[in-house]
Amino acid sequence: MTRPRHGLDRRHFALALPSALLAAGCAAPRRGTGRPGDPIVLTLLSHYSSGALRKALQDPVDEWNATHDRVKIRTEAVEFTDLLTTFMVRQAAGRGADIIQPYCLWTGQLVRAGVLRPAPPEHTAEIRRGYTAAAVGAASVGGRVYGYPTEVQTYALYHNRRLLRAAGIDQPPRTWPELTEAALRTTRRDRYGNMLVQGFGLSSYDDSTTVGQTLALLNAAGGTFVSADGRGTAIDSPAGRAVFELEHRLVAEGASAPGVNVYQAFPAGQVAMVISAGWWTGSLRPLMGAAYREVGVAPVPVPRAGDRPATLSTGFLLGVNAASRFPREAWEFLRWLNAERTGAKGVTRMSALQVSVGSLTGRADDMRALLGTGGDPNLRPFLDALAYAVPEPNVPGAQQAKTLLRTNIEALWTGQRSVEEALRSTRRQVDQEVSRLW
Amino acid sequence: MVNTLAPERAEHPASRARPAGPGLAARARRRQTVVAYLFLAPTLLFFAVFLVLPLGFALLLSMSRWAGFDLGDIRPVGLDNFTGLFARGSTFLTPILANTVLFALGTVAVALAGSVLVATCIDRLRFQGLWRTLYFLPMVTTVVAVGNVWKYMYEPGGLVDGVLNALGLASVAFLQDPHTALPAVVVVQAWASAGSAILVLTAGLKSIPRSYYEAAELDGAGAVTVFRKITLPLLRPSLLFVCITQFLTGLQSFALITVMTKGGPGDATAVAALEMYRQAFSYGDWGTASAAAFVLFVVVLVITLVQLWVLRRKGEDA
Amino acid sequence: MIRRRHRLPWVSYLLVVSGAVLMVVPFLDMVMTSFKGPGEAGRLPYRFLPRGFGFGFGNYRAALDQLDLPVLFRNSVTATALITGSVLLTSSLAGYALAKLRFRGRDLIFRLVLTTMMFPPFLFFIPHFLILVHWPLAGGNDLLGRGGAGLTVSIVALTMPFLVNGFGIFLMRQFMISVPDEILEAARLDGAGEFTLWWRVVLPQTKPVLVTLALLTFVDAWNEYIWALLISTADPGVMTLPVGIQLLQDHVDPTRTMPVVMAALVLSVLPVLVLFLLLQKHYIRGVVLSGLK
Repeated sequence: MTRPRHGLDRRHFALALPSALLAAGCAAPRRGTGRPGDPIVLTLLSHYSSGALRKALQDPVDEWNATHDRVKIRTEAVEFTDLLTTFMVRQAAGRGADIIQPYCLWTGQLVRAGVLRPAPPEHTAEIRRGYTAAAVGAASVGGRVYGYPTEVQTYALYHNRRLLRAAGIDQPPRTWPELTEAALRTTRRDRYGNMLVQGFGLSSYDDSTTVGQTLALLNAAGGTFVSADGRGTAIDSPAGRAVFELEHRLVAEGASAPGVNVYQAFPAGQVAMVISAGWWTGSLRPLMGAAYREVGVAPVPVPRAGDRPATLSTGFLLGVNAASRFPREAWEFLRWLNAERTGAKGVTRMSALQVSVGSLTGRADDMRALLGTGGDPNLRPFLDALAYAVPEPNVPGAQQAKTLLRTNIEALWTGQRSVEEALRSTRRQVDQEVSRLW
Repeated sequence: MVNTLAPERAEHPASRARPAGPGLAARARRRQTVVAYLFLAPTLLFFAVFLVLPLGFALLLSMSRWAGFDLGDIRPVGLDNFTGLFARGSTFLTPILANTVLFALGTVAVALAGSVLVATCIDRLRFQGLWRTLYFLPMVTTVVAVGNVWKYMYEPGGLVDGVLNALGLASVAFLQDPHTALPAVVVVQAWASAGSAILVLTAGLKSIPRSYYEAAELDGAGAVTVFRKITLPLLRPSLLFVCITQFLTGLQSFALITVMTKGGPGDATAVAALEMYRQAFSYGDWGTASAAAFVLFVVVLVITLVQLWVLRRKGEDA
Repeated sequence: MIRRRHRLPWVSYLLVVSGAVLMVVPFLDMVMTSFKGPGEAGRLPYRFLPRGFGFGFGNYRAALDQLDLPVLFRNSVTATALITGSVLLTSSLAGYALAKLRFRGRDLIFRLVLTTMMFPPFLFFIPHFLILVHWPLAGGNDLLGRGGAGLTVSIVALTMPFLVNGFGIFLMRQFMISVPDEILEAARLDGAGEFTLWWRVVLPQTKPVLVTLALLTFVDAWNEYIWALLISTADPGVMTLPVGIQLLQDHVDPTRTMPVVMAALVLSVLPVLVLFLLLQKHYIRGVVLSGLK
């Protein structure tokens, strides 16, 4: 399963989760009492289930509840790995939350299943106006907008400056030949062949380290995963072949060790370069302490000098359940949370919330206002990437397609399939799976 | 799975009773009928709602497209879901169904080999009850505990790698490596089910007459010869029974895999029942999920029938 | 020849004991880990014993605090009790009717009961869920089973698919057949009703089988995971012990919180293990009777 992770800090609080869930399950009536005069209670289901994320969302919700008498919001949360199943099962059980925050990848599936309601015209206009094209695209299906984009992640190249310097490299690579050369030169092994430093971290640890990296490189090569009409995959293209060949070469020549968990190895100084999303800065900083100074972030390298920069963006959106009895009230709350500007910097509550936990939103002006002075300079490349990033596909079946791509990438890395076989079988499997859904 | 025996004819008490008159007997029988159906009412009601109705529902769904939310939206599509499962590029046949069969076969092989060895040895020892109890502990433990304890033992820094390192061998990332993940889970399933296999085999061993062994000993046959020429052939019915029932259990089980690997890495441990769960409850494709369930059901049914046939024939031989 | 007889038990002992160690070590590892301190579990090189048992108290308290064990225990106990009670009642009633009453359709019903055992549980997974969701006039549903959550929001949902057990009926019937008819006839002539016969005469005679069936059902219900996972996803309020612990385990950092997970596992496994060790004769007989678990 996917897991766009939000920092290791979340894990430390994960223990409190089941009890929090139980409390949520047992708490107060779900949709108000139904008596006139009693407040309407709207439920909000997200994956902000523990630690800083939970608190960051709860603060504005408490503020809303304190200042609004007629409509109250109650938050519910599950871990990201359980989020899609929870949406589907609760919807099937007739008790889906009024407001949900799905991963953009699932938008197509949820729209098709009739879970998400299209945004009303005034909200659609607000969303189109306020967010970058990639963020709006990720929250839309077939040209219709289905919710407010919230958390946005873009992918860039993390590198360890100390390790690059030690190999005589002053600049992070900007092209694939430079990337390959830097990876090979930084790789170090002891005399028994045990890997001490991995040049480029390809890790089969989770979706974002397999599929996320691969799609970022694919986008940088000008390719896309899903074809323009959304009915199949475009992975079997020159760009796709180039990415698979690059990864295959890095593994074959020993510069990458897919079995290693990069989330542990990079902070430990055992990985020179790795492509990952912006949220990671927030957990690397406390984890690495003083050593974080050596961490740099650069745009994802492109195949040839002079190619247009591109990378992958992923994200979440807040939408309203088609089964909610109070859609107007729910959209009003979402506007208040995502579009109303407050505070000295004049940013939205969602932007402030996301930046406080080390993430971004698709509101470029808010991001510039919040990150402009001080802040981690390493977040800058992720912010810049908002302008040119390609949103992760969100057609129906996108989650299945992503899972199939991941298995094929892993088969390529472990040598079970050649580049050609991996491309062909990805195309066959994804096309079959997606075609079933049309 | 349970061994189904052919129904035995029960004694009919009323037929032997000597009633005072024909009218009274009829009335007694009528009353017994009423009482019997009263006693059976909860059971019959349950089977109607939770067996017959679901079977129909599952069949309907397997030939429909449905997102799972509104009963009015069920759209019939004929056999599309089934053809989809076996279409070119579908992962259902390989690796999913293949994994399922490998998992079941592997479990049977490991559990059977281990339990034959242990059962024959236990048969010669004192404190047989104690040993059997120890081997039985995993059977009464929740799959969540079994799965997590083993998952943790397979982790880097866990017991298994600790033992390997102590023997001078390199660590293996059992559950992270697609080549070792399925065998690693198979070992756990076999570990957990060995206890009951030992139990059945012990019962089989006890039914082999002592005199056979004594005769063999007089002939000066070695232990291996005795095992090969006497124990194994006479144990065949029990072995067959264990084989088939374990195989059936293996085909259906996905709780252990859910707990340990969730089907990963990649789809190295994806099995059919897990795929069914995912298609329905994660991807909202209830039609495909139901079709997958039926395909697996057919496999299970065929093996059950083979089991019944084999066991019945065995009964005739005896 | 004499030497061989002496040698063989040693080989046997070696095999059986090392096998037994293999069976028990995972449980011991679970207990040992539950006493390890922060950062101690998962550290290289592996050590079986904890450095001290001092951390155990903290781990078990953390498990009690963070899991809300009282609620999980309450749900597990309620569901298990409902299932066990219902299976005992329905099995002994139906078993009595099939063994000792004469009526039209008896063989057919008995064959039906046997047939139910052939259907694998996963086949009913999806339809059972749908039937509970669309249960008429429950949980806000209308007469056609639309509009609400049906029975999925109550603890009953955890138990519904397990309330009647074909094997239980089969087992009770097989044992009730051996109750002598003469006793029943004598009681009938004395004017005793069938209900009285079942309760006063047959049940006391089949007590050992009832205990066996109760144990089998209890262990299965207590350990059930997949169905409980589904129902708990729909309604976290009815989460059972295995589901709660798995949820905890899915999202922990192994080196840091694994001891707490292991402590929770020990707590969840203990009641069944103790019960099994006390009543293992009954349980093992049940497993033999059911062929194979």
